[in-house]
Amino acid sequence: MAMETLTRDVPSSMQHHNNSSISNMKHSYVQLSKTCLDEDAQINKKLPKELLLRIFSYLDVVSLCRCAQVSRAWNVLALDGSNWQKIDLFEFQTDVEGPVIENISRRCGGFLRQISLRGCQSVGDGSLKTLAQCCNYIEYINLNGCKRITDSTSQSLSQYCKKLLSLDIGSCSMVTDLSLKAISDGCPNLTSVNISWCDGITENGKFFTFVFFLFYIFYNFEGVEALAHGCPKLKSFISKGCTRMTTRAISCLAQHCTQLEVINLHGCNNIEDEAVIKLANNCNSLKYLCLANCSLLTDSCLVSLAEQCYQLNTLEVAGCSQFTDIGFLALSKTCHLMEKMDLEECVFITDSTLFHLAMGCPRLENLSLSHCELITDEGIRHLSTSTCASEHLAVLELDNCPLITDASLEHLINCHNLQRIMLYDCQLITRNGIKRLRTHSPNINVHAYFAPVTPPPSTGNSRQHYCRCCAIL
Amino acid sequence: MPMIKLQSSDGEVFQVDFEIAKASVTIKTMVEDLGLEEEDEEIVPLPNVNAGILKKVIQWATYHKDDPPPAEDDEGREKRTDDISSWDADFLKVDQGTLFELILAANYLDIKGLLDVTCKTVANMIKGKTPEEIRKTFNIKNDFTAAEEDQVRKENEWCEENLRFISWSFIDMKVNIVSNINHYFKKFKKLWYHRINLSH
Repeated sequence: MAMETLTRDVPSSMQHHNNSSISNMKHSYVQLSKTCLDEDAQINKKLPKELLLRIFSYLDVVSLCRCAQVSRAWNVLALDGSNWQKIDLFEFQTDVEGPVIENISRRCGGFLRQISLRGCQSVGDGSLKTLAQCCNYIEYINLNGCKRITDSTSQSLSQYCKKLLSLDIGSCSMVTDLSLKAISDGCPNLTSVNISWCDGITENGKFFTFVFFLFYIFYNFEGVEALAHGCPKLKSFISKGCTRMTTRAISCLAQHCTQLEVINLHGCNNIEDEAVIKLANNCNSLKYLCLANCSLLTDSCLVSLAEQCYQLNTLEVAGCSQFTDIGFLALSKTCHLMEKMDLEECVFITDSTLFHLAMGCPRLENLSLSHCELITDEGIRHLSTSTCASEHLAVLELDNCPLITDASLEHLINCHNLQRIMLYDCQLITRNGIKRLRTHSPNINVHAYFAPVTPPPSTGNSRQHYCRCCAIL
Repeated sequence: MPMIKLQSSDGEVFQVDFEIAKASVTIKTMVEDLGLEEEDEEIVPLPNVNAGILKKVIQWATYHKDDPPPAEDDEGREKRTDDISSWDADFLKVDQGTLFELILAANYLDIKGLLDVTCKTVANMIKGKTPEEIRKTFNIKNDFTAAEEDQVRKENEWCEENLRFISWSFIDMKVNIVSNINHYFKKFKKLWYHRINLSH
C-alpha cells in the first residue's frame, strides 16, 4: 500500500529508474543486516584498541563505569589503567566505600598519578593501604576530610608511594605528627602539604584526654620539624587552624625548606615574629603568605619580609592588629609585585599606608580594608590617583570604615577596572553617593546595606492583619 | 601558491594547497623527507584513505587552515567534550561508519585537531547513556553471562547513586570555630547583608 502511494507521487519520468533503485536498496539492506548480524559493532571492528582508548580518555568516571558493563571487550578497555590516571571522587563522596577504593586500586595499578578522595568519609586505613600498595606512582593525593584515616595511612603512603609530590590531609582530625614523621621519611620529593585543621579535636566535640593533649602538643612541632628535615623540596605548606603550631616549628621549616612559595598559617595564633622573620630570611621566593589571625605578630616581620621577599604577590594579614603604617611602608617600598592584600582589622593603619601602597604596588588588584577604622577619604583619594587603581584594582573592601564618605566614591570613579566594592556599615555613605558612582561606572557591583525605612503606620491596610479566612468572613 | 597532489586508496587524485595539506603531520613529513619541489608532478599516495573520506578530511582542513597549531601537552588536558564548534558538529553529522573512518584517517594522517574532535563526538555518543543504551547505539552484543553481568554491575554501581547532600563549604568554617568565631561572625554578617540586598 505504501509502495503504491510512493510510486504514484513520483513523476512518471522517474518511475522506471525508481524500480531499479528499490532493488538496489533491497540488496544493500540485505547486505547491511548481514553485516549487523555477523560482525556486530562497527566501532569494535573498525577502531583499534588505542583509538578506542583515546575515545575513552574523554569519558568521566560514571561513563567509564557504564562502559565497563557493556561487553567483555569494553570491560577490559574501560577498566584499562590508562583511563584512570587522574581520579576525582569528590562527587561520589557519600557513596565511596572501602571496596570501591580497593577495586579502583587494582584497576589503576601503576598508572594512577592523581587521586582525590576529598570528603570520602567512609574510606579507612585498610583500603588506603591497598591503594598505596597497588599504585606506587601516585604523585598527588587529596584526603581532605577523610575523617576515618589515621597515621597508619600516612605510613602506608610513606612506605609505598615514594614519588608523592602533593599531600592533603586537611581536616583529618585523627592524624597526628606521626603522620608527618612517616611522610618525611618516605617521600623526599614532596612539594606541597596541607595539614589544615588537623587539630586533635574530633568533630563530635570529644576532647582528647588531657594527658594525650600534652603529648600532642609535644609532638606537634616535632612533626613539622621532621617534615622540614625530610622534605627539603617543599614549596607549599598550608596549615590553617593548627593552633598549636609553634614558632620553633615554623623556624625549622624556614631553615630547611628554602624553596617555599606558598605558606598559609591562618589562625596559627601562637606563632611569633621570629617565625616570620626566619621565613623571610630563608625563603626568598615566597609568593603567597597568609598570616590571618596570628595576632602576636608585629611590624618587625613585615619589615623583614620587605627586606627579603620581593616576589610576594599575596599577603593576607586579616586580624593581625598590631601591624601599623611602618610595616606597610617598608613593604610597599620593595614588594612591587603585590596583587592581593587583605588588611582586614589592621586597626592601626592610616591613610599613610594607602598612600604608600598606591605608590609602591602598581599591580594591586584586590584590597581589603574592612574594619580599618582610621582610613579616611584622603587615603582613598591617594589610592584612586595611582596607576594600580586606574588599571588593575578590581575589588575594594571598605566595610566598617566609619570615616569614609561619599567623597571617596567620587574619587573611585577613576578606577576603571573596579568590579566590586564593599561598603557595609559605612554610616557616612549615602544612597546618592552610590547612585552617582553607578552612573559613572554601571558595571560595579556595590555591596552596601541601608536599614529599610520604617514603614509608616498603615491605615488603609489594616485588613491584612487578619488571616484570609477572617477577611472573607 | 604551491599545490600538492594526494591520491586516495581508490585512485582518485586531489589537488590541495600545501598550506592546507600541512595540517597532516604525516603528509608534511613525507613531503619534507622526499624533498618534493613545488613544480613536481609527483603524487603523494595515501593507501589507507578512500576518496570519500579524503574529501571530507580536506574539507575539514580547509575550514581550519587558520587555526593555531594544536597544543602538544596531552597530559594536562582536561576531559572536556562540550567545546566542539558548531561548524565541526555539523560537519560530523554523518553515519557511524564515516565517523570511524574519519577517526582512522585523522590518526593515520596525524591531524590532531580532527582526531580530537571526532573522538570527542564519539565520547559524547557514550556519555549519559546506560549500558543497554550504549549497546544499542553502537550495536554491541552483550556477551557477558548472567553471573558475570551481575558481578560487573555490582562492581560499578558505586557511582550511580545520586545522594549527595553534603554542603562542603562549611568544612572550613566549623572546626576552629571557637578561636575564629569573631572572624566568621563578620563574614557571616557580610553574607547576610548581601542577601538582604539581593532581596530588595
